[in-house]
Amino acid sequence: MKLGFNFTLGGTYPLVCEMARAGEMDFCELLVDNFLQIPPAELAEAFPCPVAFHIMFSRFLENEQSALEALAERLRDYIAVMRPLYVSDHIATFSHEGRQLYHLAEVDYATAYPAVRARVQWWQELLGTRVHLENYPSIMAGGRDAPAFFERLAADTGCGVLFDVSNAVCAWRNCGVALADWQPVIASASHFHVAGYGESILAPKLTLDTHDTDLAPDTLGWLHDLRAQIDAPGHTLTYERDSDIEPDAVRAELRRLRTLLGADADASPVAIQTANHAPAQH
Amino acid sequence: MHQPSIDAELLPALAVPDLQRTLPRESAAFVRVDTSLRTYWHTLFDVCPELLTLADPDGLRIFQPFMAWAAAERLTMNWTFYIWAYRWLCQSEFADRLPDGLAQSMLAASAARWATVDRGRHAGIVLTDACAALPTLVVGWKCDRVDGARRVERIGLEEPLDAPPGRFGHFLVPGFSLDTFPGWMAIPR
Repeated sequence: MKLGFNFTLGGTYPLVCEMARAGEMDFCELLVDNFLQIPPAELAEAFPCPVAFHIMFSRFLENEQSALEALAERLRDYIAVMRPLYVSDHIATFSHEGRQLYHLAEVDYATAYPAVRARVQWWQELLGTRVHLENYPSIMAGGRDAPAFFERLAADTGCGVLFDVSNAVCAWRNCGVALADWQPVIASASHFHVAGYGESILAPKLTLDTHDTDLAPDTLGWLHDLRAQIDAPGHTLTYERDSDIEPDAVRAELRRLRTLLGADADASPVAIQTANHAPAQH
Repeated sequence: MHQPSIDAELLPALAVPDLQRTLPRESAAFVRVDTSLRTYWHTLFDVCPELLTLADPDGLRIFQPFMAWAAAERLTMNWTFYIWAYRWLCQSEFADRLPDGLAQSMLAASAARWATVDRGRHAGIVLTDACAALPTLVVGWKCDRVDGARRVERIGLEEPLDAPPGRFGHFLVPGFSLDTFPGWMAIPR
């Protein structure tokens, strides 16, 4: 398994390079659509480690076809030159009736399946590669349909699932989606995300995927439970942090993940945390 | 009172404070919509904190009526978000108290947002305000180096360009040099 860190903006470039050269991370997950003004060969030269691609704003489920064709044409060049470990994107709602959402929404799994399946197939054809799609950090009870939706989508389209462990923890805390419900998805996943989460300002408290803090005990507990499935040849785990990026804290989290998922994992004290943490009931 | 159970049921309310008030206060749905609305709030006031000096400390006398107006006008809330916020301010109770330089700040914020969210081939955007005291271009550039960032710069002109079709205008720049003027386009909604 390769352990990685996400790279979204230039400010953390020195940190990413230092950690890669020091062996603190094995690859860099690049938010590739932030860097499309940099020629592919130049971007490829910039990283002293393998890269993976995370596409943030394709909005491939709802964007106009012509815009997606133009974006895919450019992304194919980066894929050909940089040969990423994987290409990933998001199953989420980015707008409503033409108005942009600044906090992305969850698709309606009960009704959206035919349209999503068709778009996933088309987007993979446009990009010329398998795409790994990230699960949403569910807030509302509709999130309970997510595991079966992603399992069916992967089976029907050949897409992968970029299984975000902490997003699944958010869904568990907010609407009680059990880890066991995700097991068929996890069993076929090769690429994983994990990040810190926060709480809503107002009560009743919601758990929000904030990417601004250290990993929570229950997330580490889930990781420990899943370590045999995550730590396998060809697999990756990316620690995501997008704000409050303090280098020592990032390094400490990567070391903690390395230890948790490596040979010493059985000794980890965080393994007991899940049993003591009940999800919220709505 | 109906209690939505799936996120998609809340889509109409995610950018409309008035619709949040139709949800039970102690529900997850209310807090979920609140979380969405706060994202718009931070997008406005974190980038333009001087707006908080115009009204109440939490900015709600600006935020709530602006968001209601934006919904009524069907604004897309794309990179033009700040320009339309300024246009709302100009016809609000705060119109006669807008600080000097606010229009330029809002143009810079919109230029930066374009450079952040646009996924087209263009490298830059140029904005102008026909009412500016001096002819000035506000230019937003996408990131052109892996260790760089988006940039916004102001360029003073000795001679004004042609006037835009409204108070504000924009055009897109194909590469990272500003050497042609294709003419102004209106600000999209």
